[in-house]
Amino acid sequence: MSESKFETISSIVDNYRVPEQESEQTIDEMLKDENLANTWENYHLIGDVMRNEVPAALQLDLSAQIASAIADEPTVLAPNTSNNNAATGFKAKVIQLIKPAGQFAIAASAAGLMIIGVQQNTADTNEVIMPSQIVQTKPLGGFANPVSFNYQQNTKSQQQAELEQRIEQQRRFQALLSDHEQQIKLSEVRKTDKKESLTEMDKELEKSQ
Amino acid sequence: MKLLTSFSFICIFITSLFVSFSAVSADEEQAKLLLERLSQSLRQLNFNTSFVVVKNNQAEPYHWLHGLAENKTAEQGDNNKYVELEILALLNGPRRDILRINNIVSYNEPEYAPYSIDSSQISGPIPAVFSQDISILEENYHLVLVGKNRVLGRAAQLVRIVPKDSHRFGYWLWLDQQSGLLLKLAIITRKGNLLEQIQFTHLDITDTVSENLSQLQTTELPKVIDVATQQKTTELAWQVNWLPTGFKPIKSDRHRISTNKQAVEFMLFNDGLVDISVYVNPSNEKNRPLEFGNDGATLVLSQVVNNIEVSVVGKIPLETAKEIANSVSFNTKVTSP
Repeated sequence: MSESKFETISSIVDNYRVPEQESEQTIDEMLKDENLANTWENYHLIGDVMRNEVPAALQLDLSAQIASAIADEPTVLAPNTSNNNAATGFKAKVIQLIKPAGQFAIAASAAGLMIIGVQQNTADTNEVIMPSQIVQTKPLGGFANPVSFNYQQNTKSQQQAELEQRIEQQRRFQALLSDHEQQIKLSEVRKTDKKESLTEMDKELEKSQ
Repeated sequence: MKLLTSFSFICIFITSLFVSFSAVSADEEQAKLLLERLSQSLRQLNFNTSFVVVKNNQAEPYHWLHGLAENKTAEQGDNNKYVELEILALLNGPRRDILRINNIVSYNEPEYAPYSIDSSQISGPIPAVFSQDISILEENYHLVLVGKNRVLGRAAQLVRIVPKDSHRFGYWLWLDQQSGLLLKLAIITRKGNLLEQIQFTHLDITDTVSENLSQLQTTELPKVIDVATQQKTTELAWQVNWLPTGFKPIKSDRHRISTNKQAVEFMLFNDGLVDISVYVNPSNEKNRPLEFGNDGATLVLSQVVNNIEVSVVGKIPLETAKEIANSVSFNTKVTSP
């Protein structure tokens, strides 16, 4: 029972979309394996506890708190740029530190986010990269090797950064999408004056019978 | 001679124009009748059906049950002799069930503890308007009867809901000739590209309510949360200055997006068929060029201008969403601290 199985279970419990084959296989194995079944149960328990602790999602009377939370953040319309820089700088360091372990998490969550095909204006970035590549094909004497080596490293971290950026973007989009759906559900609340609709329908039914 | 032929051609052209014109209006009337029948059937028939939502090269299978059961708890003189019961369940992945008893709709989803709201319609992949008063569609869409077809082994009538402007998508509905129920639904761009479709895979219409539904009748649903009184429209410090005609504001508020806890200011608009959400929130980035993604017909678009992120979500074309996002303006009073 490898680490990846626990991860798959975690993903299933967390409602991340796991490749069907993998999830079916894991669930089958889980049903046979007591240890894995316990994990399944525990993960659900953790989820339940977390959900109970954070009923914010449901208790809509929190709107006042949210309003005050937003009020406490003058950043709503006039953000403090220096603070933000500090925050992003710190974040960047954290990402560096947790990278090796974090990559698994990124891969797992990315699998759940593939629903959305993201398009972006990448034309600009391509144009930036293209000239550099042309430079690379004309090495300047002895410096050619180290330069191109460095350059490749750059592109690698650039790619990594781009990947992280895209995953972050997909996460944001996914969050917006599910909130949009949630808001529609909550908006379809019946107006009290429509109460007669069913009784009218009853009458119609009576007539037809 | 030449003149005569050209004259007769013009005559033919004019008469054909008249014929097609009257045919269109007759078709429109017919199409409306079919949609009204759909709405009635969705409310009154006992049906047990399955469908698949096809989008992004993926298929999501659903099971959908509906019926009218006799109201056992009805008191003497009570008008509600029937209880309307409905179940919509996603069959793949984590359980997502929506249950309805008359005007209580319960959502059971992995993201939240189960909850109920006071509503007469289920919010799922099939637009709720189809089981409601469909005349609301006529304001922004033409209803066009196209022809007959065979869908799910049944004779079907194709009705197109064609937007009156270029800012929305068209909906094509294949309706069962026998029962009036939906057999297939497609969301189509103006150029005729298919974005998303719902194909029914099984349909049973019965005289009595199915076992599953009668069980639902005795089920105790989660507590109803009172959304209506809290759904006060909050005054926000920004406006959406452009929307396609016919979109009306449904609500505006401040809330946190549950998945990433982002605090947002929010407005929801609806044109009778389609919902558009507009989000505004602060961003760490100074400027971010426009990005967008698609989930079937649903577009998610966002951009950051001067540290303010504006996002638009809805089943609308990219151009429409862009225009909406760019039309958001802020009250200067608030921007200067």
